[in-house]
Amino acid sequence: MSLAVMLKVLRRHALMPALVLLQVALACAILCNVLFLVWQRVQPMVAPSGLAEDELVLVDQITSRVRPWTGADVRAGQLALSRTPGVRYASAALGLPMIGTMMVDYTLQSPRGVKVGVNGYFGEGLVKSLGLQLVAGRDFLPSEYQEFGVNQPSSGVPDTGSTESIIITESLAKQLFGDQPAVGQILQVPDEPDGHGYQVVGVVRHLMRNQLALATDGRADNTMLTARRVGDTAMVGYAVRIDPAMREVALRGIRAAINEAFGPLLSEDIPVKITTYAERRHDALRGARAALWLFAGVTMAVIVVTAIGIMGLTGFWVQRRTRQIGIQRALGARRSQVLRYFMVENLLIAGAGVLVGMALAYVANGVLMRHYELPRLPWSYLPIGGALVLLLGQLAAWSPARRAAAVPPVVATRSL
Amino acid sequence: MRYNLTLAWHGLKRYPRSTVLAVITVAMGVAATMTTLALLHQLTADPLPGRSGHLYLAWVDTVRAKPQQSQSLNDITVQNYHRIKWDDAQALLHDHRAIWQAPMASVFTEIRGEGDQAKKHRNYVLATTSEFMPMFGVALRSGRGWTAAEDQTHAPVAVIDSEMAQTLYGTADAVGRELRLGHGVFRVIGVSAPFSLQPHFYDLAAFSFGDQRRDQVFAPVSALLDAGVDLAGSDACDEDGPKKTTLFETDAAHCSSLSYWVSLPDSKAASDFHDYLQHYVQNQQALAGYGKTSRAELTGVGAWLSRQNVVPDNVRLNAWLAGSFLLLCMANVAGLLAARFLRRGAEIGIRRALGAPRAAIFQQHVFEAVLICLLGGVLALPLTLFGPWTLRLQDSGFTDLAHLDPAMFAALFALALAVGVITGWLPAWRASRVEPGLQVKSA
Repeated sequence: MSLAVMLKVLRRHALMPALVLLQVALACAILCNVLFLVWQRVQPMVAPSGLAEDELVLVDQITSRVRPWTGADVRAGQLALSRTPGVRYASAALGLPMIGTMMVDYTLQSPRGVKVGVNGYFGEGLVKSLGLQLVAGRDFLPSEYQEFGVNQPSSGVPDTGSTESIIITESLAKQLFGDQPAVGQILQVPDEPDGHGYQVVGVVRHLMRNQLALATDGRADNTMLTARRVGDTAMVGYAVRIDPAMREVALRGIRAAINEAFGPLLSEDIPVKITTYAERRHDALRGARAALWLFAGVTMAVIVVTAIGIMGLTGFWVQRRTRQIGIQRALGARRSQVLRYFMVENLLIAGAGVLVGMALAYVANGVLMRHYELPRLPWSYLPIGGALVLLLGQLAAWSPARRAAAVPPVVATRSL
Repeated sequence: MRYNLTLAWHGLKRYPRSTVLAVITVAMGVAATMTTLALLHQLTADPLPGRSGHLYLAWVDTVRAKPQQSQSLNDITVQNYHRIKWDDAQALLHDHRAIWQAPMASVFTEIRGEGDQAKKHRNYVLATTSEFMPMFGVALRSGRGWTAAEDQTHAPVAVIDSEMAQTLYGTADAVGRELRLGHGVFRVIGVSAPFSLQPHFYDLAAFSFGDQRRDQVFAPVSALLDAGVDLAGSDACDEDGPKKTTLFETDAAHCSSLSYWVSLPDSKAASDFHDYLQHYVQNQQALAGYGKTSRAELTGVGAWLSRQNVVPDNVRLNAWLAGSFLLLCMANVAGLLAARFLRRGAEIGIRRALGAPRAAIFQQHVFEAVLICLLGGVLALPLTLFGPWTLRLQDSGFTDLAHLDPAMFAALFALALAVGVITGWLPAWRASRVEPGLQVKSA
């Protein structure tokens, strides 16, 4: 049967197709936006961290209640930790993966003028303590480290003219320099007016940033290490790499070492946190996980409701036309032709609905974006959501269409 | 009409399967919408009805430091809670241009009762001045608040809430007892009813929502500073002030650490007060050379809450999502209804042939739709109670507030009713168009 006839039938009985179309459009708009929200939450979960995850213990929130820690305090802690049984390396650090209490914020500018927002981690020997994989260049030399103090920043900054060494990630190198080799390149920080430039000395495969909300759309690895040793600071953390076979011993040892090194001065309000990387990651992603469950629930509900709606309406539609189907069958239409007719009809209605729905999704996202901190819905989500809804429509129409195909030709001879 | 209602009721029972389906669908849509709206309603409710319209946060930027230029590509913005320095607060208090005014800072600190063996408690103490209590309407159960003179003389006095009195002394009758804050000994001169505003809008620096977030002790700023209690937190500090030594240490003289709220009768008074603040900043000689434009602002409670983005974005987002889901459910139910109404075309034809006007048919079917949606509303109730539990998983403390009050209960049924009328409209109209003759013939 030709498409023109099909359209004519649909126009004559406009209510049913219109209601199916409305449902499909709404479902498509909701699903496109939810899929997008889901992907925003999923990306930080699936991004590779670049860390020796099994071997990493993170210590943070070491705060004093009387005076800031001095560089000597920090180093003493690092020494005590690295001598703890079961510990391979330990580094004092400002900024650690999966920990949002302290974030270092940089804007890097490449010679080509590309600007990228990154998170930095400060600390001595972090490449080894975090278990990062160097793919180009080298680790920092011991002589390169400058002490960085929060209260005496001048103690750490090298003379103007000489650059400071940094290590960046592969992804960051790609964004900043394209296909050129990154090692040896100089980067500027535009918001440091007396900036002295940063020279890339090494590139690691992956290193996840700690601003998890921004670990989306290829920005998860926007991270750099600077050759800075932690000096005086009000709060400090440690990255400790342990022998996984000795985890329990090491964890106990780490707690003892921290208490011994900092004990009497530790703040009562803010307890020191000593956790494995896995625990920390679990905590950091708790909110995102809960949101995912919620979105999964919404998606399920939308799919079920839409499927039931389409099935019910198509069923009724088929039932109303039982007689016509019978006549068609009597005039020689095959079962498969009747089946195909209803499936194509559904495709037509759902297709129109999907088009409306995609436009609706885009508009809705625009409205939401203007009021809330939400990125633009990329075009690519629209066809994905649309295809999903079309498939749903076909699945839902399958059983009523089968029923239509099963109508015997003899029905034509009966009056209704 | 009664007859139409009866017919509608019979209609429901005729197709139990599609009725159940429609009721469940409506219930899901209504429950999702109500859950998210209830939470949003709680979070955006007026924190201090009757008073908040007169309250304004006054801010003058007198911090001697170069303005910070942050061009972070990482969306990091420096929080500014519009706090001012203690010296400025004292100057504004001295001028006394508003009806009521008080600087305030909520401080988490150690609170001890009498004797050396007394147990330590850590909780929020509100450092403020005498007019805070009348301005915010803190109700006293016994004793009195302190006076401006006591602020002046740094008198170590305090008002505690009845719960803190119970914790510290085992009795609510605590007037005259001793209280240790910092290294000072304070005298309890009044016991107040628990004072918990949601959100804790007058000092947003700590957590803004939650039953636990409550100031339990009120004491003069001057006396607390004398006792070495740190105001713990500030927006910015003078560059020429002493360096801080611990993470949260705050030098009240050099750091903007107090929120200054004033009560003004009308908008005329508010604009006058704003001019006065502007003048105050312009006359700050010490600011010269820091390259700052003189900034003074006066912000009402509502504007302040929306500016500080107190209601998390995801709460609003969830409400949008739930709302669009409800629309989908409505389209679905409209489809179910249309199918069942047209299925009984023959019946409608007979009714019409027997003389029923179109309006009666229309009414009957709208009634049927409304009945279904009201049933959906009833079913939505338990679902709505279950809803906050799901939201709580996502939580940052504030979801405890998501509970149903009678107003929301009424709103739920109003929503169900509206949904019924709207979804029923089109199918019922279609049913009422059924021609009498044709249907009778084919039946």
